[in-house]
Amino acid sequence: MRSANQKLAMFRWSACRAFAIAVAMLALGAVQNAAALPAFARQTDQNCVSCHAGGQFPELTPYGRLFKLTGYTIGERAVPFSLMGVWSYAKVADTSKSDSPATDFQKHATPIFATGSLFVAGKITDNIGVFSQTTYDNYASQSTNTDGLPSGDFKGHSQADNMDLRIADRFIDANGDLIIGASLNNNPSVSDVWNSAAAWMQYVPVPSPSSHQFIDGTTPFPGFGSGGNIAGLNLYAYWNQAVYAEIGTYRTANRAFSLFSAGIADADKTKLRGSGNPYWRFTLTHEWGPHNVMVGTSGMVAHIYDAGSDTSDPDNLGKIRNSGIDGQYQYLLDPHTITVQVAYMRQKQDYSANTMAAAAPPYFLADGVTEVPAPRSSDTTNVLRAKISYIYHAKYGGSLGLFNRTGTSNTLNQTSGYDSNGQITSGDPLDTGITSTRVNGNLTGNPATRGWTTEAFWIPLQYIRVGAQFTAYSKFNGATGNYDGFGRNAKDNNSLFLYLWAAY
Amino acid sequence: MNRPRLIFFVGIALGLVACANPERSRTLNDPSVAPKAMAMQVCSACHGVTGNSISPNFPHLAGQTPEYLVSQLTNFRKHSRSDPAGFEYMWGLSRHLTDEQVKGLAAYFSAQKRVATRVVTSRDQVAAGEAIFKSGVPDKNIPGCFACHGDHGQGNGQTPRLAGQHADYLQKQLMVFQRTDERPEGAIMKVIAHDLTENNMKDVAEYLQSLASN
Repeated sequence: MRSANQKLAMFRWSACRAFAIAVAMLALGAVQNAAALPAFARQTDQNCVSCHAGGQFPELTPYGRLFKLTGYTIGERAVPFSLMGVWSYAKVADTSKSDSPATDFQKHATPIFATGSLFVAGKITDNIGVFSQTTYDNYASQSTNTDGLPSGDFKGHSQADNMDLRIADRFIDANGDLIIGASLNNNPSVSDVWNSAAAWMQYVPVPSPSSHQFIDGTTPFPGFGSGGNIAGLNLYAYWNQAVYAEIGTYRTANRAFSLFSAGIADADKTKLRGSGNPYWRFTLTHEWGPHNVMVGTSGMVAHIYDAGSDTSDPDNLGKIRNSGIDGQYQYLLDPHTITVQVAYMRQKQDYSANTMAAAAPPYFLADGVTEVPAPRSSDTTNVLRAKISYIYHAKYGGSLGLFNRTGTSNTLNQTSGYDSNGQITSGDPLDTGITSTRVNGNLTGNPATRGWTTEAFWIPLQYIRVGAQFTAYSKFNGATGNYDGFGRNAKDNNSLFLYLWAAY
Repeated sequence: MNRPRLIFFVGIALGLVACANPERSRTLNDPSVAPKAMAMQVCSACHGVTGNSISPNFPHLAGQTPEYLVSQLTNFRKHSRSDPAGFEYMWGLSRHLTDEQVKGLAAYFSAQKRVATRVVTSRDQVAAGEAIFKSGVPDKNIPGCFACHGDHGQGNGQTPRLAGQHADYLQKQLMVFQRTDERPEGAIMKVIAHDLTENNMKDVAEYLQSLASN
């Protein structure tokens, strides 16, 4: 077992190494500007701003959207590999209200090399192209000491990330324009071309260490309850660059589709019932002068087995229904880029019969006598998110985002509460068998979380972004104050997040 | 996935590949792809199917002189035109075009009709721009644009058509000529634009944008 000094020395060494690599990449980039382009840029030999609004990947321009909808096939076949790395630093406002700050805020205020991704992306034939991302998480897991506590030694792990194989054709002349295609993908809405879609609105990857658990990427996003790493086949059509429709269905990413969940243990994979888990998307779009706007709606019905459960038992099956509306506005006229996105998603989740049978919250009301109400068999959440951003000369940018999640209260979701002595403890000193969770606990059983994020970023080279984000909470896990039962307030989770994001 | 289903999906994929039609190719390094197919499948994304672009980031190509279009595509291809609007988008797309494809693209877009679009302009600005276009700025010895670009801004051979072009694009190109050497093929414009003020550029650009299609 390492001493605290040894651990500190290792942390410092890791931090120094991470920044040395980052600086080396910057220096390398400075002398290889023309050659250092990711796979799609090599395919078209165009600048990033051609496809990404103000250069802020991944948000697409109208041309970038057409590039994707036509199957990533514009240009010529090129070396289809790219690499991406994220270095980060996160600092949480209050780390004192914790039983174990080293566990609850791993790598706090410490620069780290967080993740790296390998992309296989590009044109395959005249009609077929691919975007495939595999991500290495440098902090995927942590070993434990003999006393059961985390050792501080992290292990990296790679797994399938966003993947999208598509085939498309375009019928266009002076009288009309019709793009049709099919996308085989592993994440509902990864096939989408608007940045208000669930898979794309969160635009900085979230590092795993728990010091990063409150940064913007972890705040409520209007996503789909099924999550990713499943297998879907979607058909789409875009008519006259005005009307877009997409329908698809998803299934478990196993057997022939195992690549879509590669690197994930079978017990951890999302298991869907059959192939009847429909997804739909419909948008109206318009472009005039330097402006373009989209309004749209999307939804999905997913029949999901409880995590790690026996899929032959129908009582392990739950259902999640998502329906949402979203919109996006872009003003693109050099040197200015302004984008506005708004998305709202409603989710209704019906829990499985076995979840409800096993659901017996151990908690009491504050009197220590009255048990909390019985769990509800379904929950509804509503997530609203809006973001406005401005970029000057595709180099300097900033954004302001707001998020607000509301929903039904359910004692099933309580992870903190009173024991039979009217106490809230995480250590259970009176041996009641009832414990609560500090920092992440939810005393109310309500998911309400609200706040805002502001960001400033700099794009010194077109494939490097340096950013500083600050996320502030006015409500977390259903309460403004004492949300975990241990006196932790929403604002204690306010987080500063710095990152360097580079792609080659 | 059972074998019949896998065969079904592979069969569909192969069938769709087999259906790939060179008339709808988006490949840019294949000499056999017809210029019109390129214009439809690729160029139209920014310049419009008929060369009438929506965004002022991208110039209208409809009715442009074929000689000018050939010269610009050639300059993009050999990287001698290096203004941002050019190299960010056009260096890559033009890098492996053949001379025949360049000529074909120029012929296609020059044959299209410029469609007038409604734009909001200031009458005073247009009037001031018209004066510059027709008479130049005499006290700075700047000649009227019409002398080379034609009475109606219709262009002439290597001298481009300006009529109906996006004002924002025209103004930015005048800045490029005045302040950089990024368009050496237009060196004469560096001399002419040398003493133009930003307001001069805005005025003449607004006037040219307002010219009806012809």
